Amino acid sequence: MILMESITKTYQLGLVNIPILKGINLNIEKGEYVAIMGASGSGKSTLMNIIGCLDRPSNGQYILENRDLTTFSDDELAYIRNQRLGFVFQQFNLLPRATALENVMLPMVYAGIPKKERSDQAQSVLTQVGLADKIRNRPNQLSGGQQQRVAIARALVNNPALILADEPTGALDTQTSHEVMELFAQLNEQEITIIIVTHEHDIAKKAKRTIYVQDGLIVN
Amino acid sequence: MINTVKRIQLKNHRKSYSISTIEILSMALESLWSNKLRTGLTMLGMIIGIASVIGITSIGQGVQKSTEEQIQALGSDVLQVLAGEAKGGNVSQGQGSSSTLTWEDAKAIATEAPAAGIVAGYLQSKQQVVYEGENTLTTVYGTDLNYPEARNTFPTTGRYLNQAELDASQQVVVLGTTVKREIFPADVNPIGEKIRIKGEVYEVIGIMETKGSQGPMDRDDAVYIPLTTMSSRIVGNNSLFGISVNGIYIKYIGQENLAAAQFQITNLLRSRHNIQSPNDDDFRVTNQADILETLTTVVGLLTIMVGSIAGISLVVGGIGIANIMLVSVVERTREIGIRKAVGATNSAILRQFLVEAVVISTVGGVIGIGLGIGIAFGAATLFNFTFIVSSASIILAFGLSSGVGLIAGVIPARNASRLDPIAALRSD
Repeated sequence: MILMESITKTYQLGLVNIPILKGINLNIEKGEYVAIMGASGSGKSTLMNIIGCLDRPSNGQYILENRDLTTFSDDELAYIRNQRLGFVFQQFNLLPRATALENVMLPMVYAGIPKKERSDQAQSVLTQVGLADKIRNRPNQLSGGQQQRVAIARALVNNPALILADEPTGALDTQTSHEVMELFAQLNEQEITIIIVTHEHDIAKKAKRTIYVQDGLIVN
Repeated sequence: MINTVKRIQLKNHRKSYSISTIEILSMALESLWSNKLRTGLTMLGMIIGIASVIGITSIGQGVQKSTEEQIQALGSDVLQVLAGEAKGGNVSQGQGSSSTLTWEDAKAIATEAPAAGIVAGYLQSKQQVVYEGENTLTTVYGTDLNYPEARNTFPTTGRYLNQAELDASQQVVVLGTTVKREIFPADVNPIGEKIRIKGEVYEVIGIMETKGSQGPMDRDDAVYIPLTTMSSRIVGNNSLFGISVNGIYIKYIGQENLAAAQFQITNLLRSRHNIQSPNDDDFRVTNQADILETLTTVVGLLTIMVGSIAGISLVVGGIGIANIMLVSVVERTREIGIRKAVGATNSAILRQFLVEAVVISTVGGVIGIGLGIGIAFGAATLFNFTFIVSSASIILAFGLSSGVGLIAGVIPARNASRLDPIAALRSD
């Protein structure tokens, strides 16, 4: 499903080039549940952003579901993000002035799904993550765990093939972390590929495979 | 690995999509509605900028128009001879010295200057006029019978002075409407009533029509008595050459005769006053056309000044609009990141911000235009000048504000829409 070859990423800071990824080779199959671990600054988040088409590699080849994404335009990548990928961020990244329902409907707006269908689908996904009674609440009226579940519902709503979670439990307490991880496990049972970036071993243990990133390279 | 990639049959699954304009519009409206404070403040900048420009220019033009109308109502076919300063040698004897013009001069102009039509001499003095308990300080005009026609002002109630009253220096008076209002109760008909001027009794025989004010001068704040009475009972500083007057109004015959009339009058008076050199003139001949021209220039300058103020407020307003639009887009970079992460294309982001800017500009613009017209109307009603709405100022104010609003709203949004989603997401 994911095939990466010699992926590098270099940031330019003034006149200095800072290499973050130094040649990543990676193969992830459909239905896998993978944790990416590494110290902060190791490049694990950058790797995830490239997998999620939020960022482009400086060099190398990235094939997702047999599409060579390194040749795709911005708009084509937007389409991939919308249709094939779902994101869960540490800081939730919900629109603060929109309700839970509106936040979950957002990817469907860009997908061009009619209004009625959007609302039905979003409600059903919110019910699935246990927030049927909170659909009219804004993010500031929800707890951290509830906000993260809204974010997961938003990631799920367009039936993605791959869910990417960057420190999804980083801002949550142990109990809610556990609930969120439970959700990911359930989703993985439905054949959705899941990649979680974390620095907590407890979290990584829930995944079926762990990849360690150190100094911009995958180590074993 | 390389071999693996080569072996895969790469699908040509390149696909992108575009969101409908209706969806963009509804999303933009939702976004504006959900942040009412930001939307309101942005619109407020637009409204104040546009309203102040339209209000100020409309008021300026209204005042200009009214002034022109009032000047024209005076009649531009009128010359005025004003008494100058009597000179002893080269020393001015100052104002208030006995007048150098006489009623005899006026009569001479009427008979000897062919281009002169109606000629009216007058003598004026500030006096207290009293009716029962009420009194007011007003200008008393001593006039002859030609005055109403020369000044284009006639009594609406009663009548003007007549020959018998002039010949016999009778104590009769015609009131301006301001004086009538000041000293007479509303339910009293002044005709036949007695008022006192400088301690003596005058019978009211007429009320003049209302002429309104000319600049700061209230032209209805006046009373009219026979010139002979004025001369003998109130002012009484007659020269050796007859009854003194402060000025003479001459209505000349036809616009084309203005120069001729001016020439004839000047020559006649120089010869009557035995003046050799123009430098020694003890009178001035002025015409309304000159005054009109001067006033028009002044009002024109006023309009330029008002326009400059409006222009400055437009610039200030524009900077305000640009500022708030810029800040709001920068503040929303994270939102742009979120939208891109879930699949918004660059153009969807750009179109949303464009629509938001258009909606704010249009709604703010329409409210601003309404408010500006309201301000102009209110001021025109309150201060009694012509209500004009300058369409040029509407177009200018609206065009510039919405242009600034669009550019300031869209350029940064375009830049933000081109960021990598992760760069936009990380901005705080």
